[in-house]
Amino acid sequence: MNNPYEVLGVASTASAAELQSAYRKLAKKLHPDLNPGDKAAEEKFKEVAAAYDLLGDIDKRKRFDAGEFDASGAERPPRQHFYRDYAGGEAEHPYADTSGYADFMDGDDIFADLLRRSQTKRANRRGQDMHYRLAIDFAESIAGATKRITLPDGGTLDVKIPAGLVDGQTIRLRGKGATGAGTGGPGDALIEVEVLPDPRFTRDGDDISIEVPVSLSEAVLGGPVRIPTATGAVTMTVPKGSNTGTTLRLKGKGAPRHGGGFGDQFVKLKVVLPSPPDPELEAFVAGWAKGKAFNPREEG
Amino acid sequence: MAMDKQEFLETFGLQVQVLDVWIEQQWLIPEKTPSGMRFREIDVARARLIRELQSEIGANDAGIDVILHLMDQLHGMRRVLAQLRREMGGPQA
Repeated sequence: MNNPYEVLGVASTASAAELQSAYRKLAKKLHPDLNPGDKAAEEKFKEVAAAYDLLGDIDKRKRFDAGEFDASGAERPPRQHFYRDYAGGEAEHPYADTSGYADFMDGDDIFADLLRRSQTKRANRRGQDMHYRLAIDFAESIAGATKRITLPDGGTLDVKIPAGLVDGQTIRLRGKGATGAGTGGPGDALIEVEVLPDPRFTRDGDDISIEVPVSLSEAVLGGPVRIPTATGAVTMTVPKGSNTGTTLRLKGKGAPRHGGGFGDQFVKLKVVLPSPPDPELEAFVAGWAKGKAFNPREEG
Repeated sequence: MAMDKQEFLETFGLQVQVLDVWIEQQWLIPEKTPSGMRFREIDVARARLIRELQSEIGANDAGIDVILHLMDQLHGMRRVLAQLRREMGGPQA
């Protein structure tokens, strides 16, 4: 780096006030945002700013004057971007001002026409879509629900969850996104919905399956059993002679189908012996099993 | 990266009353969303510029007002020039 005193154009004996005055004069001239067309402005300004950073700090100046370090060690971290880097380009922003050439747009000539066309394209942009996430439970995904999202600023958004919604489905609320510019309408709110898994139910398309334990006597003798469904418990008759793996169908207790109607709930039975073990049962089976040839592990 | 109002106030050490004045004078026009004010990168860069005009350049409020107004006109003109150049088959972006 060049000698910072030279960069600022002051004597090495300059007072703090003189330094600041010199810096401000140069900053006014060289600041990139005050020179949007000068590509080299950033470099020139950086040099001046670094020089003032060094000499404007009493300690750093003392050490520099004493020769303790050379100027290049004292540069401030490079500045990322100036306003001019965002104001140009094609991206929309609300600061774009056309009044500087508005008079060129009046008139019937081709040039005026060109200018007018370029303006309407930008002025009436639709607002951005806003993205949100929501988690619901299994029962709500099947029956539907209305959920309220609380937004960071305390505002709320009511979201109607359609019955039968699938995990990962996105709900679009038209017009609930960010406001647009000019005559452009607001964007939409896009809500991605997660269906939290339920330990009991598994969804398979429009059908739901569940595994339900039944007692030995219920399986052997049959009888009514209370079965949970997504919309509440129902009583089902387990047929006499049911076994583990026997699957019963509850019609219409699944998820809503597109086009009307509902899928089914499939109930897979699991025969469970009494717990703790019943000594009466053990005694009975010991007697009963004699002479019986049934082996479930044999093929055919 | 965009910021919300709280983060913005903290980044610039701004009081909310000062921000209100800046917005009322249209020095800053953050995006209004259902979840509150959203400060895009351009808004952050513009706030940084306002700060620098105050501290580095030593401009007062009236000066900043004029500078921003003229600068916006200048950028407006540069954009339309760039657009015209594109339409005439010149270098892109």
